[in-house]
Amino acid sequence: MTLHQTLIYLLIAHLQFQSISTSDEDTFSEELLLKPLFSEQLYAHFQFATHWNIEPKNENYQHSHLFPRAVGEIVGRYNVQELHISLTGGLWRYETWGYPVIDAAPGAEVWAWFKPSTTNVDKNWKLLANSLSGLLCASFNFVDISNTVSPDFSFRPRGVVDWSNNLNNTFLRYATLPREIVCTENLTPLKKLLPCGSKAGIASLLNSGHIHNTKYHSTGLHLRHVCSSESCDSVALELQLSVSLVYDYAILGTRNWSFKKLFGHGLNGKCPLATKSNIYVDLSSSKTLNNFELSPEPDQIITSIRGGQVSDYALFNIPSKFLNVGVKYPEDFTLTVNIPPPIHANQYLTGYGQERGGIVTEIYNNHWSSLEIVILQNIAWYVPVYLHTLTITSGGQKLEPKILKYSPGKQREKPYYIEIALKLPARSITTVSIDFDYVFLKWQEYPPDANHGFYIGSAVVSAYLPLAKNYTGLPQDSATIFGSFNASRSGYLVQIRTENMVITLPTPDFSMPYNVICLACTVVALAFGPLHNITTKRLTPKKKNEEKLMQKVKKKLVNFLKKKTKTE
Amino acid sequence: MITKKSQKLLKSSHSLIIVCKVSFLLILAALLRYIIMVSKYQNIIANHVEISTPLSSWKRVLEGTFLFSKNINPYEGDLLHETPLALHFYKTVLQFVFKNVNVMFIAFDLGTSVLLYFATKKYAKKFREEHAEIEKFPKEVRDTLPNQDYENKVPLYVLMSVLFNPFSFLGCVGYSTVGIHNFFMSMFIFGMVDSNFLISSLALAICSSVSLYPVILILPLITYFVKVHKSYLQALLTLLSFITFLTLITCYNSNFGKDFSFVRNVYGCILTVPDLQPNIGLFWYFFTEMFDHFRELFIYSFQINATILYLIPLTITFRNRPFVLTVALLFLIGIFKSYPCLSDLGFVLSFLPTFMYLFSYCQQGFVISVILLMTSCLAPVLWHLWIYSASANANFYFGVTLAYAIAQIFLVTDVLFAHTKWEFYLKHGKDIKIDGEDTKLSLE
Repeated sequence: MTLHQTLIYLLIAHLQFQSISTSDEDTFSEELLLKPLFSEQLYAHFQFATHWNIEPKNENYQHSHLFPRAVGEIVGRYNVQELHISLTGGLWRYETWGYPVIDAAPGAEVWAWFKPSTTNVDKNWKLLANSLSGLLCASFNFVDISNTVSPDFSFRPRGVVDWSNNLNNTFLRYATLPREIVCTENLTPLKKLLPCGSKAGIASLLNSGHIHNTKYHSTGLHLRHVCSSESCDSVALELQLSVSLVYDYAILGTRNWSFKKLFGHGLNGKCPLATKSNIYVDLSSSKTLNNFELSPEPDQIITSIRGGQVSDYALFNIPSKFLNVGVKYPEDFTLTVNIPPPIHANQYLTGYGQERGGIVTEIYNNHWSSLEIVILQNIAWYVPVYLHTLTITSGGQKLEPKILKYSPGKQREKPYYIEIALKLPARSITTVSIDFDYVFLKWQEYPPDANHGFYIGSAVVSAYLPLAKNYTGLPQDSATIFGSFNASRSGYLVQIRTENMVITLPTPDFSMPYNVICLACTVVALAFGPLHNITTKRLTPKKKNEEKLMQKVKKKLVNFLKKKTKTE
Repeated sequence: MITKKSQKLLKSSHSLIIVCKVSFLLILAALLRYIIMVSKYQNIIANHVEISTPLSSWKRVLEGTFLFSKNINPYEGDLLHETPLALHFYKTVLQFVFKNVNVMFIAFDLGTSVLLYFATKKYAKKFREEHAEIEKFPKEVRDTLPNQDYENKVPLYVLMSVLFNPFSFLGCVGYSTVGIHNFFMSMFIFGMVDSNFLISSLALAICSSVSLYPVILILPLITYFVKVHKSYLQALLTLLSFITFLTLITCYNSNFGKDFSFVRNVYGCILTVPDLQPNIGLFWYFFTEMFDHFRELFIYSFQINATILYLIPLTITFRNRPFVLTVALLFLIGIFKSYPCLSDLGFVLSFLPTFMYLFSYCQQGFVISVILLMTSCLAPVLWHLWIYSASANANFYFGVTLAYAIAQIFLVTDVLFAHTKWEFYLKHGKDIKIDGEDTKLSLE
């Protein structure tokens, strides 16, 4: 298989594995996965999935049952094929935490595929961003063509598309807002999109006061089209809403967590509209090392064998009465050595001063064989990079990119887009570096706190892992965590996001526009005066000892005074 | 017979000495440049904003050629501000002629100096011949007339000032592409003085196509042919061939009308100043601090100021001295263009020796040289304080660029004023008395 084929295989999905729903009715499922991470953290992932078998006549997406109408209207109005949004605070630490269920970049991230019938994609994208801004109370209104790219490989449709033959990235838009600060105001509108809101069911655990105390919190909205039957003669709309949280035991004060400690209160029954309401606790860390006690007793223990990884999950069906899941660790605690996942990446800045710098992305391949990856960098226009300085080295040796896609940026109009397909050598650290210049902006283009700096978004490293080690991601054919159990596939897609970076651009003096305008104009006038004289006037000789004005005045004054004294 | 022979011998030995002198200077200049170029200072010099503006940075040329080699149109982005022809020219010349970027920049700089040497030699000879009949001029100004000594010294001084003035030197060492543009500019001067309308119009068309502002020099060129070479036909031909060459170059640049994306990047950038990276000119801070709704007004007024504002009046005043006019316009372009660099100043400064006869009438030489010296030293220091140490701010550097512009303005107005004075004295003599009293000159 050539690399190109692999890439397409990697990123376009197996469309045959589309999720299948048996009934014509809309379905809603709510799930919560709790997973103790290596060392001192607990990962809680809320997954809500709504499945809507759209009637072909229902073109405006206006008559929905469980599906949020607000989202439906957006899809209908802007001709959206797929929409993926994440709002994240904090950074997912791949090296110690493994892979999350859904990857998300720090700040806000949005990507969308538009239907091929869309005539003006850029206009729809702008309108969509503005609507999303209202829907989620986030700054998506700052998304426009100046920070948007259309990546060739990294973001292929996740759902079913009926135009896979001419899949064209002109219908794809991807943008990030790394400066976005995510907080309560983004969570509340998300909860409103759920059929039960936050009144009942697992969503009632989403208590803002407790959620934003976490080390990492990420909310996501993922919308796609899926097949509504096995024959795929009609499509359904699927909406996944997710909330990922990473609690730190140090902040909690104890490692013996419970719902009450994590979310402030226990769970009081399920959402009556949900067809599936489950809670899973990952027992793999308990099995190998620290045997924690789970209370109450789980309803069922599921063993999942997936891509060479065997893990046990405790399953709780939500009873109608009160539920407070908790664990108790034994007093003697064993520390272990962290085994990092097959692939993870970091990004940092090089250089000093405010004139020239570099962006370096380091990608770690801990796998025993070589891995093919795609790196996507969407670099804002205020960070002009020089492609000829792009160097990729691994173990002291230069690597040639298999494919290099580049589109140069334009000030105030277009970001720099780089996409590199690479083959990482086995057990290696690969460094991708590129140089940039610091630019000077107009004084009104600086944000209110100009010396806070400008953000450079994270790079996205996509890979198709052969093993599911440390992997909790959902398979492409499922929207539920339950569907990821025993879901062995030929590969597992991870899309790692690196750190955001901040650069402080050189600033002008904001206090003196008038002075600058005056001074510069004075200099221009300095040239104008003499040149005007030279070109328009004639040299004429004049008497040398002709009196000057002051002398004349003085003389007159003296005469006047003399007269006065005489008359007196 | 013997005297004739000995005269001939003397003449040939004299020219041999000159050839030796010139080649020694050339070799010395090349060596000095090469030594700095291969040292660690090359990178430091090339990174200075006074030398590498967005329009003249060699790094951007490298990026452009690299993108072309990857089949990416560099004009989709806005890092590159050179025309396709210029890019192609650099690449070809580097690949097939010089092989080495150091050699290329040195060669173009030496080429500039040699061309200006011959141009000013011709000019000085002609200028001396114009004033050969000493008897026609008043007694007291006769010693300021160009003489044989002037004719001998001027070309050599010009050569030395191209080769060894620090501004040209740093520009060459820092790979400023303006150094290469200056080669064509000197070709234009050479063609103009040599009454070769093809060379001059071609060189001017090239210069205009890469940096736009020289397009106004077509007026002094035509004046030169009309007033000095006394040929209306050649003047007309110059204009025609200039237009033809310009059209041909634009045709090539636009890939025969298919792709005009370079226009926005090259001329758009020169005219609308979107890149506000500091340089030694007046535009960057002015348009950084400009209120948005006044931006257009001031862009128009600044560009008019840099191009046609002084063109017509100066042409009328100095119609009989088109060489002076050309140098004055070159000065004004260098001061008021949107992205000036040190090479621009270095180039015009090397014409100063041709005004040797005016030096006694210049009044501000001391002030100008002190300001130039101070700003040249202060600019990098204040830049470092602002950008690296964060202990100064933009105003400091802006102050330096203002002083730098003022020095140049004083210089050009001083020279022009001295020239008017000198011409006046040639006509009327120095000692003019009104009612038996001493007089002084004033502009009225």
